[in-house]
Amino acid sequence: RVSSDGKPPKFQPPPKPVIIDRKTQTEDKRFLSPEFIPPRGRTNPLKYYIERKDMIQRRKAFNIPEFYVGSVLAVTTAEPCASDKSQRFVGICIQRGGKGLGATFVLRNVIEEQGVEICYDLYSPRIQAIEVLKLEKRLDENLTYLRDALPEYSTFDVNMKPVPRMAQEEIPVNKLQVRMKPKPWSKRWERPKYNIKGIKFELPEHKMKAAQKWSQPWLEFDMLREYDTSKIEEKIRKELSEELEK
Amino acid sequence: MMPIWTKSGEKHAVTLLKVQDCHVLRYVSKEESGGKTAKLLVGGKNVSPFSKPESAHEIFKEAGVPRKQKVTTFNVTDDAIIKPGTPLYAAHFRPGQFVDVTAKTIGKGFQGVMKRWGFEGQPASHGQTKTHRRPGAISTNKASKVYRGKKMPGKMGNIYRTSFGLKVWRINTKHDIIYVNGSVPGHTNCLVKVRDSKLPTYKDCNKNPPFPTFFADGDEELPEDLFDEEIFQFTDPSVTFA
Repeated sequence: RVSSDGKPPKFQPPPKPVIIDRKTQTEDKRFLSPEFIPPRGRTNPLKYYIERKDMIQRRKAFNIPEFYVGSVLAVTTAEPCASDKSQRFVGICIQRGGKGLGATFVLRNVIEEQGVEICYDLYSPRIQAIEVLKLEKRLDENLTYLRDALPEYSTFDVNMKPVPRMAQEEIPVNKLQVRMKPKPWSKRWERPKYNIKGIKFELPEHKMKAAQKWSQPWLEFDMLREYDTSKIEEKIRKELSEELEK
Repeated sequence: MMPIWTKSGEKHAVTLLKVQDCHVLRYVSKEESGGKTAKLLVGGKNVSPFSKPESAHEIFKEAGVPRKQKVTTFNVTDDAIIKPGTPLYAAHFRPGQFVDVTAKTIGKGFQGVMKRWGFEGQPASHGQTKTHRRPGAISTNKASKVYRGKKMPGKMGNIYRTSFGLKVWRINTKHDIIYVNGSVPGHTNCLVKVRDSKLPTYKDCNKNPPFPTFFADGDEELPEDLFDEEIFQFTDPSVTFA
């Protein structure tokens, strides 16, 4: 640099550090319950809009917490035949099905050596409280293989205390590999169509290789099966945040 | 289709029907039609006028209305006559009413006797030669002919069928949507005819319906959603049994 008037060059202060606010970035990836995303089809989008209005109304009156397949929940429902007129069931969420108001989730637990699965409607008025005792994800979206796993993996204490979780933390993924009962199973879980990562297969090598015969490697490249939900999700997230703030 | 819950916690499935641009097209008097009552021609959904010749547009031009996809007749008493050109809205029906819904069923094409009429077919094994889904015998020896109307394979579906006695649970006046109990014939987004129920049990069911119809430019200000008394409102707290 050319110095002006023979004096030393003017002091240039170092550039100020740029603070990247991570909070605003992670807000975009906030949890959107899967039943809000409309399925691919020829239905009029007006139907999904009206259904969403009803779902938002219910969510304002009753809190439906964020949970995933693999988290342990406690659900209290109104039961006309019970003595206190209410029933509390604790279990691990195996699957979440249905879209819109008919969304369901199945809780599984083993009570007195008998496996019990109950399928609840998320938006049913008979549900009085949903408590998330342990919020975590698992390696698969569908844990129906727990029916063929050893019962210790499906037993949860009915009087379990909720596990404390700090806010704004990432949801922990439980990389547990489950051990199975001896075959026959209800479904052939080793086959690639189920794509299960959460089982510790103790089958011989030749059986695992034979199961790969049913693999369909072209499926992931099939363009007609692609359903890009990013733009739809953005719109729905905006709509939800506006409505829930009212 | 959507679920709906009552105040006692029971779930019912409900079909959504949208009333899209319905107008009254023409009034046909009792003598002209030759029937027992006067008729009103009503047209549904708007459609482009360019796919049909000018001669087909006469009815619509008289009423001053764009061309409609479907035109149906309703038998109407003399005190319920409406002027051609008036629009019809979903608020014509009220929650708690009972309704018959007619539509063309989903076309299944040429189908065999097992799917079309529910025949049992034959066993898959134990010596059956080339006979697993066939009708078997079609008549007796004594008759020595096949009776008219014998159930045989043929084109199935794509015919008009009616579901009777469906309850109306809810009406959305802003988007003109009728929530009707149970299922309705036809595929999604097909055209459907909704009529007051003719079943004898529901003859005296309609208490003060809007007669002859709901007029939008009238004095009545309806709320956006009209619910039946038994529906659980989502703004209420959860159901408890005492």
